[in-house]
Amino acid sequence: MPYLARRTGQALIVLAIAFTATFVLLQALPGDAILIKFESPELGLSPEQIADIRASYGADVPAWQQFLHTISGFVVGDFGYSVQYGTPVHELIGTALPETLVLAGLGFVVAVVLAVALAFLSTLAPFGWLRQGLRALPGVFVSVPVFWLGIVLIQVFSFQLRLVPVIGADPVQGLILPVLTLAVPISAPLAQILARSIDEVQLSPFVAVVRAKGASPARVLWRDVARNATLPAITIAGVLIGELIGGAVVTETVFGRAGIGRLTEQAVANQDVAVLQAIVVLAALVFVVVNLAVDLVYPVLDPRLKRKAVAA
Amino acid sequence: MSTKHTRLIAAGAAALAAVGLLAGCAGQGAAGSAGAAGEPVEGGTLTYLEHQPYTTLYPPQAGFYPNGGLVNNLTARLTWQDPETLEIQPWVATDWAVNADATEYTFDLRDDVTFSDGTPLDAAAVAENFDTYGLGDEELGLTVSEAINNYASSEVVDDDTVTFRFSAPAPGFLQATSTINSGLVSPDTLDRKLEDWGAGSATEIIGSGPFTITEEEIGTSLHLAAREDYDWAPASFEHQGRAYLDGIDLVVTPEDSVRIGSLLAGQADVIRYVQAFDEQQVADAGFEIVAAPTRGVNNSLGLRFTNPLLSDLRVRQALVHGVDAQEVVDTIFTANYPVATSELAATAAGYTDESAKLAYDPEQSEQLLDEAGWKVGDDGIREKGGERLSLTVYEAKPQPLSKQTLELVSQQLAKIGVELNVKAADAGSYAEDILDPLKTPVYHSMVGRADNDVIKSQYHTQNRNTLLSDDAKLDELLESVASEPDPAKRDEASAAVQDYLTEQAYVIPLFEEPQVYGAAPYVHGFTTEAVARPQFYDTWVEKQ
Repeated sequence: MPYLARRTGQALIVLAIAFTATFVLLQALPGDAILIKFESPELGLSPEQIADIRASYGADVPAWQQFLHTISGFVVGDFGYSVQYGTPVHELIGTALPETLVLAGLGFVVAVVLAVALAFLSTLAPFGWLRQGLRALPGVFVSVPVFWLGIVLIQVFSFQLRLVPVIGADPVQGLILPVLTLAVPISAPLAQILARSIDEVQLSPFVAVVRAKGASPARVLWRDVARNATLPAITIAGVLIGELIGGAVVTETVFGRAGIGRLTEQAVANQDVAVLQAIVVLAALVFVVVNLAVDLVYPVLDPRLKRKAVAA
Repeated sequence: MSTKHTRLIAAGAAALAAVGLLAGCAGQGAAGSAGAAGEPVEGGTLTYLEHQPYTTLYPPQAGFYPNGGLVNNLTARLTWQDPETLEIQPWVATDWAVNADATEYTFDLRDDVTFSDGTPLDAAAVAENFDTYGLGDEELGLTVSEAINNYASSEVVDDDTVTFRFSAPAPGFLQATSTINSGLVSPDTLDRKLEDWGAGSATEIIGSGPFTITEEEIGTSLHLAAREDYDWAPASFEHQGRAYLDGIDLVVTPEDSVRIGSLLAGQADVIRYVQAFDEQQVADAGFEIVAAPTRGVNNSLGLRFTNPLLSDLRVRQALVHGVDAQEVVDTIFTANYPVATSELAATAAGYTDESAKLAYDPEQSEQLLDEAGWKVGDDGIREKGGERLSLTVYEAKPQPLSKQTLELVSQQLAKIGVELNVKAADAGSYAEDILDPLKTPVYHSMVGRADNDVIKSQYHTQNRNTLLSDDAKLDELLESVASEPDPAKRDEASAAVQDYLTEQAYVIPLFEEPQVYGAAPYVHGFTTEAVARPQFYDTWVEKQ
């Protein structure tokens, strides 16, 4: 348990640092959301009126006071108001988050399936040229920009073949292309790592022993190699959560879906500090939790690590 | 690429990408044929693709097209401006009287108009609307409408008569009552803070128009439903009663290629913001391009003469004659973007032709710059006293293909020895820098409104002040446009402003900016109001 307590403490420190860094960076940018929205010449507001608006958003006090105000709000779950929409941030995030969780969750599952399939097929497939070809695929996938992939998938499957509509799709139809768009680039590094560690583990002495005892290649791969080869892949999977968030920004914009990614894009464009602050902390939280989960899963998969943890 | 080839690649890709998932999703089928427009059909839902999400439904801030497109369909106004003739016609007001110096307006109202929550739209409600739009409400953060000048007070004469008084002549007020900025909403709605007109509040805004918003997914989509009891279309309309459509699904689709593709594939019926380079593709597929003029100050470059580099009239004149607007239109745009012939569009109220004095003449430009003492330096850019004739302009995100336009202008100006740096900026830096003539000596913008007042909106120091002017004479000329009660004299006042802007070479007009929509062939009766906002009241669909 002290291990878990220590890790939770570390996680909180990471969150506090992420919060502070975001705050400082957003403050350092020229202009702000109030300027963008209210000093637009079209509104013809007088400088006094704009000063009043600033005061109503609490943006007229020194930065350190704003910092204390914002962080104390976060602690009790009050993320403030979006200047751009005039809507409470928790409401914006509350409506966007479930959409993104479904998209990212499915995207991740499909990516894992794709990666595992590629890695194992590229080991098991007959013919050297086929194995080579499958090995090369992740390299192609990883270099495909999400933006381009999304548009190509839409053009081909929706506009040319007319298999799935992009506009007016039901929830299931509406997920097919975005999930694929998100999954393909994420599956690539996963498949590469997995394939490489399968190669490495297969060269280990214990594999030779198992083979010598007469195990079939498939049994060796599934029972002995796979378990050992998944460890590095799980580490990289934790890191890939970041890619999922980045991918969601592009995917949601291309497909016109509501979600955290779209919200981020809008908030960045309008320097909507309150929204960005909440999104960064949310993203940091997801990172921290996922990495903690990955660390906790290690000993389960590899008993040797459990012994080490106990010894320490 | 041939269709067959595309199909092959597509088929291959399909096989690779877990086809099982896709099976069973029926194709949408080809779009119906155009055919001749017959009798309008009631019913059906139209899918409309917007380029950006709306930001607020507070009518005075509805100038942003995504906002205005909604407000135009959600609210009725006192008057209707015919988009062709620009004549002001009865709508909620059946009749009106204006005193001689345009300081007092009295409107007679229809007595059968209701808001979408069932409350009556009477004189008191109208008075409350204009008190808010004319005076603002600081406590609620509601701003004064740009369209209303010199507003003083309202008086409810009886249930269906209301009088407005002005502290100075306000000849533009009648037209202002027809604009989306004067959309009539329920008195309860007017009690909302500015924040409560934004995302997430759309279904709570109670208007008086043919549609109401019944569903909202923040930043993504809206559903508009026709009001069954709407029966107060402008009297001049052939069509009376409820809207033909049952509803409109508005989907925000920021990606250009997805909007165009969805339209052509039959997934959407009407889309806003067809880029100039996509027009051909849409037209070739047998779809309709609706390019509506915005009838205001042209898409143009303002020369901020308070910047020392631009303080010399000869330098400004050189810049005006050094830009070939015809080439800009020929290279980047289409016939729907007419070359500017004045600071105002030819379709705008109060327009006068200035083209002779705005002509492209690079030789004259070079001569003017020589006379002003700017000599060509080693790098081809002119210098004077060690200073280079180097100017900065920011890409204007709201203007179509602004970056491409500015880059071409920059190439043209380089030929006469002037450097124009085209910068792109994040919204924050942009909002800050455009307020400083030293950082933004050249400013790219336009504004649409079908009234003589539009030129004052763009250039007066108390309005948009796009020139960051300190020219008292210009302000005076603009004020006379906004306060001259006699229509003919008002046009003269507007012409005087255009003459002055041309004479002082304050502006490089480029083209008359339209709003370009794409519509499927089976969509009929899709029109726009006087400043190109979509109007779905008369729209009907032939298919299904």
